[in-house]
Amino acid sequence: MATDLRISNISKIYPGCVANDNVSLQFKSGKIYALLGENGAGKSTLVKILSGVISPDNGEVFLNEKNLKLSSPLDAKKNKIGMVFQHFNLFETLSVFENLSIDATEDNKSLRVRINEILKKYNFSIDLDVPVLNLSAGQKQKVEIIRCLLRSPKVLIMDEPTSVLTEQETEELFISLKKFCDEGILIIYITHKLKEVLSLCDEVAVMRKGKVVSVSQTQNEKVETLANKMVGQKLAKIKKKINISKNKDEIFKVKHLNFYSDDPFETNLVNLNFSVKKGECLGIAGISGNGQNELFQILSGEIITPDTSIIFRNKEIAKLNPKQRREYLMAFSPEDRISQAAVPELKIYENVALNNFKSSNFFEKGLVNERKIKEHSKKILSDFSVNTDNVELKSQFLSGGNLQKLILGRELITAPELLICYNPTWGLDVGAINYIHETLIKINDQEKSTILISTDTEELLKLSDRIAVIYKGKLSKIMPSEEVTPEKLGVLMGGGSID
Amino acid sequence: MIKIEKRNDVPMALYFFTPFIAIILTILGGGIIFYILGFNPIEALKFYFITPISNLYGLSELLLKATPLCLIAIGLSFCFKSNNWNIGAEGQLTFGAIVGGGVALLFYNQEGFYILPLVILAGAIGGMIFALIPAILKTYFNTNEILVSLMLVYVSKLLLDYLVVGPWSNPEGFNFPETRQFSDSSRMPLLFEGLRIHAGIFLALAAVMLSWFILYKTYLGFQIKVSGLSLKTAKYAGFKGKTMILVVFMISGACAGLAGVGEITGPIGQLHRMISPDYGFTAIIVAFLGRLNPFGIIFASLVVALTYLGAETAQIFLQIPKYTGQVFQGMILFFLLASDYLLFFKVKILNLKKNELRH
Repeated sequence: MATDLRISNISKIYPGCVANDNVSLQFKSGKIYALLGENGAGKSTLVKILSGVISPDNGEVFLNEKNLKLSSPLDAKKNKIGMVFQHFNLFETLSVFENLSIDATEDNKSLRVRINEILKKYNFSIDLDVPVLNLSAGQKQKVEIIRCLLRSPKVLIMDEPTSVLTEQETEELFISLKKFCDEGILIIYITHKLKEVLSLCDEVAVMRKGKVVSVSQTQNEKVETLANKMVGQKLAKIKKKINISKNKDEIFKVKHLNFYSDDPFETNLVNLNFSVKKGECLGIAGISGNGQNELFQILSGEIITPDTSIIFRNKEIAKLNPKQRREYLMAFSPEDRISQAAVPELKIYENVALNNFKSSNFFEKGLVNERKIKEHSKKILSDFSVNTDNVELKSQFLSGGNLQKLILGRELITAPELLICYNPTWGLDVGAINYIHETLIKINDQEKSTILISTDTEELLKLSDRIAVIYKGKLSKIMPSEEVTPEKLGVLMGGGSID
Repeated sequence: MIKIEKRNDVPMALYFFTPFIAIILTILGGGIIFYILGFNPIEALKFYFITPISNLYGLSELLLKATPLCLIAIGLSFCFKSNNWNIGAEGQLTFGAIVGGGVALLFYNQEGFYILPLVILAGAIGGMIFALIPAILKTYFNTNEILVSLMLVYVSKLLLDYLVVGPWSNPEGFNFPETRQFSDSSRMPLLFEGLRIHAGIFLALAAVMLSWFILYKTYLGFQIKVSGLSLKTAKYAGFKGKTMILVVFMISGACAGLAGVGEITGPIGQLHRMISPDYGFTAIIVAFLGRLNPFGIIFASLVVALTYLGAETAQIFLQIPKYTGQVFQGMILFFLLASDYLLFFKVKILNLKKNELRH
């Protein structure tokens, strides 16, 4: 029997963030649907609503015209909606069979028969009696899939399934998914990987900032068109004056930056080499999850990688921690304002003290010099027009824009020679964005340099003097920004190549 | 339908007030339990919470029991504030007592003003070294400090057992599992004639003052605070995370070691199997009841010490086992955690009918 899944006007609002804004979509069995979007676009929220993990504030879900009440994952199971999450929900020390039998309703004997049928039918080779911890990521995922298949699902939702898989395992997964699809299971495939959408899916819905921005047939799409839809191309191109002359000194130089992580959710970086000149803004574009996090942490000194050489103002700083790098006049503004760059529970002046450089005298002989920190904080609040003058205020009461101004102020008041920022305007309103862009341009005017890692193409084109694209941990060649167009960036961000 | 939401703004005053609510609820809960057991709840509670401290001797006993609890909890607050879960204070206390007691036994037949300071110092160092084991394993081998510190408790207890039965047992002690009595020079001076309260209380008070200074006035304290709130931020700010873990465990272990040495040189006067009625574990409750605040911990240690005393009185007058003390300690923690939950989250009961009408 054909399956028809319809999502109608779903909205979900979190404090300070609209995760899903009036989302309506329709799916029919026999096709594989892609749900595409950047991190934070609202895909996961939508999926959690479909699987009953969270309930929407508004809107309805219909399966074969039946209005579904999904108030718990159990409801989703009952209604034959199966879900494979990005992070596996398996007990590592139990055997495969024990994991599968936990929520089974039948006796072990007939369960084993049914599992073996599935294994045979889809050509899965998994030993049912080994502990799950001995399995590869791909095999663990198969266990999760089997768990769904045991309940003969009508809908199967896969959330970023390939993020932990090898190429080989990915191919195997795609073959299985196509088989399921032929058997009439409706498949919804969530990802931010464009190539996978094109090779696997029939229809693609793109989400951005909680809204569905396009629904189309994949055959009509290319990597770059999808990339542009995903990051939101805007035609207006306001560029700053390119103020770089060719023969300026290189102030910052990175050689042989390699990073290998055991954590399958981190991206490995492969031989990154680049340099920044005095007064220049180097932009690094890319779809999130392609290694920007790791790159930022290595540049700031939170992760130390062996064999990398980082020269800053003629000194080798690759082995220094963030505090030591600050002494050489580097400054950092991470992407995560609320849990990394600042601590919401701390007062404003305490957050200012996080940038504790030697000449600040914030801590003399190991003691807190509260007076000094507060004076310094007051200056930041007024110089960077944060809309409070109360340094005792807890930072959680600042709006995102004001918090970002405080953070940038804290980092910039030391007049650093190089500022490294990662998505500095993420989630801010237009006024704050303009203020921060102006500030970043002003730094370059004062002959100070910036590295801008951003997922916002428009911002990169506006602020950068040269731009490179990071894709799967590799850096494209660095291009002068007057030669760059949004289309070119789109191709590179999707893993294509240009010349 | 019930919906649970995080509260955005939790008033500080209420945060320090909820421990009182927890204590009141504990007393009410205790009354109900006594009632079910067939006692007059008012009378039982009186035996539990008032009789023990209605005379000078009782007050002295209260301070005597509060002293080790306060010392250990002060040390633990350094660990807990910085997100290090040292559960093994009981082991550090025991090991501190072993090392301090070992030194005291070396001088068992000597007198001298220098002996007691040496014994105390040895106890602090012993606790510190024992706390360094989980700290080093955590920083360099990524082990879980909860498990390691907890398991080491049993290691030190068995070591103490072995020593008092074997090599250190009193040669004139008719094979009782205990060491010789320490010489008077190894004993904590008593504060009042006829009462057991001893100079160890000054160690606890000094620890309170010193910890307040370190936590609120120094760079180390600032680093501990930030690391406790967000490890990501601590890393970003460039704090030396490994050093800090080692330092907080050392402080914590030293405090527990001091508590141990205070017990054996104070009321006990020798080493034997039962040097601590689980002070090291109970101090975890004290630390949280005191909101990890040095002055809060003084108050909390007095309250929890009272449950020890009350249990003993209740055993004598009502013939209920003294382990009811642990029931009370458990209830305090339970009610504290429960009221914290309600403090940080609000529970909304949504009107289902309204929702259904809309569908």
